[in-house]
Amino acid sequence: MRWFRFALLILAVTVLQKGLLARWSSKPDLLVILLVFFAIYYSTSDAIISSFTIGFAADLVGSPMPMGPQMISFGLFGTLLAYLHRVIAIKRMPYQALAIFVTSVLTGTLTHLLAYITKGEPVAANIYIVVFVTSLYSSIVGPFLFLPSAWWMRIKINRFGRR
Amino acid sequence: MLFTWFMLTGFIFLFAPQNLTSKCQLAFVHVFRWPLSIGGNLALTAQTQQPLAGTVSRSETQHLNYIANLEETLAQERKKFKKLYELYNTHVWEGTDFALADVITATVDGARNELTVDCRKTTGLAKGQFVLGDESIIGTISDVFPQISKAEVELVTDPTSRIPVKVAGLKNIMKGSGNNSSKIEMVKNKVEVGENVFALKKPGFLDAPMIVGKVSECNRNQKNPSLWDITVVPACNIEQLEDVAVIIMNPQK
Repeated sequence: MRWFRFALLILAVTVLQKGLLARWSSKPDLLVILLVFFAIYYSTSDAIISSFTIGFAADLVGSPMPMGPQMISFGLFGTLLAYLHRVIAIKRMPYQALAIFVTSVLTGTLTHLLAYITKGEPVAANIYIVVFVTSLYSSIVGPFLFLPSAWWMRIKINRFGRR
Repeated sequence: MLFTWFMLTGFIFLFAPQNLTSKCQLAFVHVFRWPLSIGGNLALTAQTQQPLAGTVSRSETQHLNYIANLEETLAQERKKFKKLYELYNTHVWEGTDFALADVITATVDGARNELTVDCRKTTGLAKGQFVLGDESIIGTISDVFPQISKAEVELVTDPTSRIPVKVAGLKNIMKGSGNNSSKIEMVKNKVEVGENVFALKKPGFLDAPMIVGKVSECNRNQKNPSLWDITVVPACNIEQLEDVAVIIMNPQK
């Protein structure tokens, strides 16, 4: 893992998510896409570190949500996906899209659940629709973003198998 | 083990006081405020350039407002033209000029009954000229301010107003009594309510008799019961006037 490149990538995507994409009501979650990318194409230990780091980044820009829920949910499901990938290879784009969709739905739901339980954060009435639409957009866009991410991280995704 | 430590960190963040963790969030936003604002500006620009269907862009709104203003101005000018056309084509007003003026303020209820009007053309305006509102005499010019293109009109209902009038064939002086009414005192005969009251011709100011009001009350004079006191109300609703016309007799060509 090229950690410096990883840090720059996460930083850029976090700023992009909070700045440019924040203006749109329906948007893909780029951080979830990166979570799945690192869970699929890197070793389990790297995937765990990257999952928690991405969750931390999501928490940093998640205001007014409290910090912690996204770090936990991203870390938990990123780790699970990394372990799952040891058993089932997720190489084809439809499977990658499905993985992104499922991961996005699970992380979104757990994040709001944790915020509600621990901090009593109010849950919007349309939260399930928002989570679903975000997951859908992420799953559509995600597999196409794997290629530039792989180029930035200097890995060749076609040659990678299971780790 | 790695997973456990990270989870523990996550829970520490989760259960830490929110005022502490929110400082981290604010610090991030503060440090990266420049790229974040660029992102926001780019998004706003993109949204401005590609408006959603059914919405109107800013420049389009400006054009629509500009057209609406032009249409309203045109309608007002047509209205003024029509009014002037009618006045100029009346036989009795042959050779007479008119100055149209917009009403700025109208005071008709208090002790003073007057109008402040905005005249585009103050040339020829003079004190004492009669002022028409809705084809009836409403008062006379009491002051002209050519520097600011404004004039004051003393209404026939003003307590200082005195106008020679004719009602039911009898000539008399109508005095303003304030509160949007005038009085004609010591009239020999009883006059019916609703009778028209006309302003008499005044050489150099008025060439033809013009209606000035209508009789609203006719009561016996308290000192001399054989005579009558008449209350007159203006022939038009002065409060609702938007513009008036000043009669300029013998205008200088």
